[in-house]
Amino acid sequence: TTLKLNHNNPPDHPVHISMQIMADRVAELTNDEIKIQIFPNAQLGTQRESMELVQNCALEMARSNASELEAFEESYSALNLPYIFASEEHFNNVITGDIGQDILNASVDQGFRGVAFYTEGARSFYAQKPIMSPEDLKGVKVRVQPSPSAIRMVELLGGNPTPISWGELYSALQQGVVDAAENNPTALTTARHGEVVSDFSLDEHTMIPSVVVISNCAWDAMTAEQQEAMRTAALDSMAAHREAWNAASDAAIDEAKATLNVNIHTVDKAPFAEAVLPMHEEVAAKSEHLADLIDRIKATQ
Amino acid sequence: MTTPIFLLFGSFGILMALGVPIAFSIGIATTVTFFLFMGVDQSLFIVAQQMASGLDSFTLLAIPFFILAGNIMNRGGIAMRLINFAKVLGGRLPGALAHCNVIANMMFGSISGSAVASAAAVGGVMAPLQKKEGYDPAFSAAVNIASCPTGLLIPPSATLIVYSLITGGTSIAALFVAGYVPGILMGVGLMIVAGIIAKRRGYPVAPRPALSEVWAAARDAVLPLGLIVIVMGGIISGVFTATEASAAAVLYTLALALIWYREITLKDMPRILIESAVTTSVVLLMIGASIAMSRVMAFGGIPFAISDFLLGLSDNPLAILLAINIALLIVGTFMDMTPALLIFTPIFMPVVKGLGMDPVHFGIVMTLNLCIGICTPPVGSALFVGCSVGGTSIAKVIRPLLPFYALLFGLLMLVTYVPEISLFLPRLLLGYQ
Amino acid sequence: MRSFVDTLLKAVITVIFVVLVACVTWQVISRYILGTPSTVTDELARFLFMWLALIGGAYTMGLRRHLAIDLLTQKLAGRPRAVLEGFSLAAVAIFVGMVMVKGGGQLVWKTFASGQVTPALQIPMGYVYGAIPFAGAIILYYCAIFAFELWRDGPFRPDAGDTMPVGGPLD
Ligand code: NA
Ligand code: NA
Repeated sequence: TTLKLNHNNPPDHPVHISMQIMADRVAELTNDEIKIQIFPNAQLGTQRESMELVQNCALEMARSNASELEAFEESYSALNLPYIFASEEHFNNVITGDIGQDILNASVDQGFRGVAFYTEGARSFYAQKPIMSPEDLKGVKVRVQPSPSAIRMVELLGGNPTPISWGELYSALQQGVVDAAENNPTALTTARHGEVVSDFSLDEHTMIPSVVVISNCAWDAMTAEQQEAMRTAALDSMAAHREAWNAASDAAIDEAKATLNVNIHTVDKAPFAEAVLPMHEEVAAKSEHLADLIDRIKATQ
Repeated sequence: MTTPIFLLFGSFGILMALGVPIAFSIGIATTVTFFLFMGVDQSLFIVAQQMASGLDSFTLLAIPFFILAGNIMNRGGIAMRLINFAKVLGGRLPGALAHCNVIANMMFGSISGSAVASAAAVGGVMAPLQKKEGYDPAFSAAVNIASCPTGLLIPPSATLIVYSLITGGTSIAALFVAGYVPGILMGVGLMIVAGIIAKRRGYPVAPRPALSEVWAAARDAVLPLGLIVIVMGGIISGVFTATEASAAAVLYTLALALIWYREITLKDMPRILIESAVTTSVVLLMIGASIAMSRVMAFGGIPFAISDFLLGLSDNPLAILLAINIALLIVGTFMDMTPALLIFTPIFMPVVKGLGMDPVHFGIVMTLNLCIGICTPPVGSALFVGCSVGGTSIAKVIRPLLPFYALLFGLLMLVTYVPEISLFLPRLLLGYQ
Repeated sequence: MRSFVDTLLKAVITVIFVVLVACVTWQVISRYILGTPSTVTDELARFLFMWLALIGGAYTMGLRRHLAIDLLTQKLAGRPRAVLEGFSLAAVAIFVGMVMVKGGGQLVWKTFASGQVTPALQIPMGYVYGAIPFAGAIILYYCAIFAFELWRDGPFRPDAGDTMPVGGPLD
């Protein structure tokens, strides 16, 4: 069987490369019984559309991220909370451990299940000035993804959340339509945002992973051995991805410093973490399941 | 590989030829082809989803707004004001009225973004004037037909917005700015050809206008042309996105027509809104169906198969680009601009990407190519409207059109092979890379 | 009945169009004048726009204004022309019934059932997709009327005074 996997990154993106590693490994482990054919650049639809297709068995697999998946399965919102992870180590322990597996399995009733998490690093603020404390965000127009949690986080930090599409962000930063944005360091180089901002402040507020999902139809059609092979391949590629991502992220920071003259700042995260703490309670209040998940994540470190 | 290609394009071609509306022809052909890849229920599901979700774009919203602004403008005497100003600008050249027609088409087309509206509004005024001064009606109509599509290149342009969407978000600001030089070159080139013919035929030069006339004409044209300043100034300076600029265009034309010129009243607005919505939804339904079609093409690997085929034909990128241009010119003879753009952009995009061509540059090439298409028989909206308002027939207008076709083809080659013509301005003004 | 449907669609289209202009205008005002950019206008505008497109498409069907190539139809008269028109109507009706009403209906039902919400407004996605089966049902209704008129009056001829716009909307 060939499983089609749609995602919206270009084929040279680290996540694409890691999914290719997973695909190769699955084929190897199942003697080519299960093949994954990857469609980059959203050829088969946007992230939301491919999730809907996966739910209805019109597409076998898709890659989305924890932020977009909130609309389909609430468990993912625990991962999107700012400062829920104390460190990269903590984050990795969660996504590769039992909690991660529970979240991946939580959506079976919605018609799909998660297969793999891929780190996309920690997101931080960047602007024409250093953002060293929440004070520096007062009245600042910050571009956010149009998700309630991103909006709420910037509000709690004192900024003005401004949803702007990713494609328009470069010129929006250039022309001052927004003053700041938040993303991982690779945005400085791959999207050339380093050309239009001067300072990248490593406050590392969220770690929102990519998630690969598979439809129930495709999963249930596999034998237990094939399902096990898929899990093994996913874990192998996640380990490879972690190294590849860190290398790409470090390279982006070096390049931004050297060729784009971006100042990189280390930041005291405590005041940021304190300001957004109410979000943890707000999300926990949504359901017992979420409250439990958040407690378990915090207890892991 | 060949089965999906033949099923998709075969069924589409047959349905279209039998007169099934194009949007539905695309939709049916797409659904039938999806049956090759998934169950019936899944196929119905994905096509339905794409028909709506393919339109989920804030950028695309600019289209109804620009069409609405154009319709509000068309109601009043905007065409007359721009023609008077064009007379001043082109009056001292041999064949003054022909030049006036071209210049007015460039200005009116820039604002309305519609070749057909421009051909009707400007040509409708110019044809009787030209006849009175002894111009051959077929020649006048040919000038009007060839020059009315300039407004599709000169921004703002709904055509370029659709191109941006279908290519996955090519910068609209860059596309708009890139259209200026090719669009103006097109107008100037047509004026040179028209001038040569007019001089040979002894068509008159207009008398030198008095300074007061110049002033009055310029003053009348300032407000309508102010729309371009607001829209393009707003986009280039980054104050507005294209969609916000289009909403500003609506408010500006509304203020102009309701308050300043008092040419329409609020009572006229529902009809104008409905008319704009109808025009818009014709294109939007086609876009939704085409996005579904591009998905089934991706499922079948069709764009890459065609790309491999074309790239395998020759090692010479110049030859491949020529082949693409000729294919598009042939498509343009019988297909309207919108479906041609929607269907052939995703097919040729992997090829031109493989050749390292810039997507903004290809957008301009594609638009210019299809601009020629709407002037050629058997199906050509500019040709039809131009003949009808010019009081001539397609048979009569073909001969005088030939030198203009030659010029447009030359310009197409120039724009294809010299990317700087398109990319120079966006690089200069927007730092486009 | 026909005039009631037409009037209803016109009213819906007008209202959506006006709200859309207001929405985008508010987005600019909130950003430059109020300094607190709106976080919902973008999504609201995008989803209203999908409704506008689909309902506008249905209304346009009622006006028979969807772009088609009529080279063949124009050459024919009488029975062959009636057959061709009947074929075209049937093709549209089957497509709309299967894809827009059935497929679209399934899409609406599934998105309601799974509880999927829109990112910014957090409203059920089913309301957004509801435009598809709704527009589909109206197109089917128009197809039925046209089929009846074809059977009663023969092939459709546009009135001479009521000239059809030529070409696509982008031309
Ligand atoms: Na224009
Ligand atoms: Na043509």
